[in-house]
Amino acid sequence: MVKASLAALSGPCEFVEASSGLEAIERLALGPIELMVLDLNMPDMHGLEVLGFVRSHSKYRQVPVIILTTRGDDASRAAALEAGATAYMTKPFAPGTLATKAQELLEPGSR
Amino acid sequence: MTDFLDTFLDDYFAECDEHLTAVRRTLLALESSIGRSRPDPTITEELFRAFHSLKGIAGMVEHREIEMLAHEMETYLRAVREGEVRLTTAGVDRLMDAARLLEHSIAARRQGEQPIDIEPALAELRQISPDEEDSPPSSALPAPDSPAASWQCLFTPSPELIARGINVDVVRARLREQGDIISALPVVGDGGAIAFRFVFEGNPEIAERDAWVADGMVCSKIDDAAPVAVSTVVGERSAATLSSANHVRVDLARLDDLMRMIGDLVIRRARLGDAIARVESLVPSTDWRGIQENMSALERQLRELREGVMRVRLVPVAEMFRRVPFVVRDLARETGKRVTVDVSGEATEIDKFLVERMLDPVLHVVRNAVSHGLEGVDERIAAGKSPEGTLTLTAAAAGEMVTIQIADDGRGIDTARVIARARVAGLAIPAHVDEAAILELISSPGFSTRDASDRVSGRGFGMAVVRTRVQELGGAISLASTPGQGTRFTFDLPLTLAITDALIARVGGETFAVPQASVREVIEINTGGIHALETGELIQYRGAPVPIVRLSDALAIPVRPATRLHAFIVNAAGAPIALVVDRVVGQREIVVRTTSDPLIRVDGIAGATDLGDGRAVLILDVAALARQARRTRGIVPVRETA
Amino acid sequence: MTDQRSDQYILFTVAGTTYGLPSSQIAHVDLVEDITHVPNAAPFVDGVVFSRGQIVPAINMRARFGFERAPIDLRTRFLVTNTGNRVVGLLVDSCREFLKIDAASIHPPVDALGGAAGSSVSGIATSGDRMIVILNLNQLLASQDPILAA
Repeated sequence: MVKASLAALSGPCEFVEASSGLEAIERLALGPIELMVLDLNMPDMHGLEVLGFVRSHSKYRQVPVIILTTRGDDASRAAALEAGATAYMTKPFAPGTLATKAQELLEPGSR
Repeated sequence: MTDFLDTFLDDYFAECDEHLTAVRRTLLALESSIGRSRPDPTITEELFRAFHSLKGIAGMVEHREIEMLAHEMETYLRAVREGEVRLTTAGVDRLMDAARLLEHSIAARRQGEQPIDIEPALAELRQISPDEEDSPPSSALPAPDSPAASWQCLFTPSPELIARGINVDVVRARLREQGDIISALPVVGDGGAIAFRFVFEGNPEIAERDAWVADGMVCSKIDDAAPVAVSTVVGERSAATLSSANHVRVDLARLDDLMRMIGDLVIRRARLGDAIARVESLVPSTDWRGIQENMSALERQLRELREGVMRVRLVPVAEMFRRVPFVVRDLARETGKRVTVDVSGEATEIDKFLVERMLDPVLHVVRNAVSHGLEGVDERIAAGKSPEGTLTLTAAAAGEMVTIQIADDGRGIDTARVIARARVAGLAIPAHVDEAAILELISSPGFSTRDASDRVSGRGFGMAVVRTRVQELGGAISLASTPGQGTRFTFDLPLTLAITDALIARVGGETFAVPQASVREVIEINTGGIHALETGELIQYRGAPVPIVRLSDALAIPVRPATRLHAFIVNAAGAPIALVVDRVVGQREIVVRTTSDPLIRVDGIAGATDLGDGRAVLILDVAALARQARRTRGIVPVRETA
Repeated sequence: MTDQRSDQYILFTVAGTTYGLPSSQIAHVDLVEDITHVPNAAPFVDGVVFSRGQIVPAINMRARFGFERAPIDLRTRFLVTNTGNRVVGLLVDSCREFLKIDAASIHPPVDALGGAAGSSVSGIATSGDRMIVILNLNQLLASQDPILAA
């Protein structure tokens, strides 16, 4: 579903899927990844743990990360942003919203 | 037939070097495991792999000494790994001695010398390894292999593995089949490489484990006492194999050839440029534009090509710095001092050639720092310092230069002692002895701070040779020292060895090249504006008096008197000085060729080049010329206040 | 370097005397081109030559053996020698011959041969009624500057 909404992005895009936190990190390592859309609820690790790892790594610190979650409360949002999330979106989301945000973050100079 | 064997041997030696580097580095880390019932498994694993590989390749070329030594080292390490013997300082020492012997043996084979006698080292290693037939000695902690033991598995992902369908989730699934996974975390290794560390309880079969290695999974047992927490140090060790996947080993000689070819291309393009410029008047302007554009594009593309090849030759300074802790450790022990080594900027990249040429000078300065600069524990405590001395190595790149610094927090240089020594050696002592002067004195051939019998810092490599080596590379040394606080040596080296931008100048009937990087400005002087004083000549430059040096004097070239002259403004020891020539005739990209033969190695000449007409043109070392002027004419340059 | 049965030598003349060096030590022989003077180099060093992409120091052999320098003419040659470690060029009056010389016909140098040439002479060969002074290249290239004597 995420892929479908991102299909609206202009320009050619390659999508890489990961079904676990470790796999997400693996994909990042084998990259290059320009944007991460990260779910918080993953089978093996919490999304914020993955985010923490990404932000502490000199090479990947700058990768924009959109956190995607069902929790819409302010505390969760604040926690995610403090952990280094570039953007925070709640599910369900309007199809265009994700694409717009992604487009914005992929533009050079937005980092 | 011989060619094949030669290439094969080259590969062998190259591989040996790689494994030896890993051995040296890992042995140092092994020290932290001394006394524990089981040493850090990642470290032993890496050492083991190295010994095993060395044994294998040595066997292929029938290098018996290496085979046997590596085998004994492997045996001892296996015993340590399985807990049959405890790792002791003596054990690590013997491994280090053996590692040194490995190096010597390889060097001997490389140079076609007699094989080294390794019997004593073998005997020592056998002594500390358990006999094959004996049951584990009682000194080992009982560690019964319960059906479910704690294991660590390090998985290093790679594109190849993904292509084969092996990713971290697959690995996780496999391990889950074997037992319970206790933790699964990402770890960061050398250069930011990412791997995954699983801790699980189970009892995987040896066959299984061996098969896994091919899939990037390396397993080892964990002792309860050993820390399970992930530290970056551990991570670094295990991710060492990550680099081999996407790299090609290249013979430095081939890169030298490439650089030379590019150098020739640069010259050729310059000649083409000259030739075309000569026919400009014959070409219709519409066509001329096209030619101009192509020439510019050609110049740009050549520059990119040149930079591309230069990048290939770049390696991290760490390659040079890696040897230092090893050397320091030995020396510190011999002299009974305690020394820590602090390294920063080791990722700074420099030309591989620089690494090879600077290794000895760096090690020499390091040895000096440890043996003469740093005080013993008692002296340090009495001086209110920490008992452990610190040796700091830094590397940083700025534009076309790379700066390497070696500093110690020891006694600093005893100026009085240096002067006394210099007098004894019959050296001329300047009126004002500053740090530059001290450096000059200690770098003079014939000066030495200890007797020849002082083997700790001797070995025939004095500061004089250090200076020559640095000068050959087109670099400079400077010295800063505070009594009681420490000493710092700074090496400034040009990154681009082969090709550089230069200003071309004429003095009398001769042409010289001056590297653009060393020139602040080019000015025109009216001879009427030169003030003659007792100490020399001065001009007004930007409102301040600046001493001038006529290159016609410095280089003993007859010139005709003129009213207008050109000069290079350069910096000498922080203050500007003007080097006067007849005319600066242009600016060129030049290929720097060394003039290192002793017959033509003179102060003030940094090398030679050709401008495309087959004639050699000397490249001036403006810093040296300015220094010379300061010395011979006693000029004390006026320091700028800005 | 020691006892070769019979070796190829390149012969050249300096101030009337014929000298020889093993051809294995000679990279090539060139017509003299421009020699760029190097200030403050050893007195017998004329300077450097840019020869086949390399900077080669040029030793004036007349000066090396204590003779006055002579103007360069059509017969003057530049012998580029290569000892493996160093590439150094010798400026000589003429150079035109290859000769095979038996080790047997090389006699040890006579003590009377003194001067700068003395230590660089490894032997005297006779060929017919000719006398050829066989030189020791490494000795020849050794700089007189005590500091640089490694």
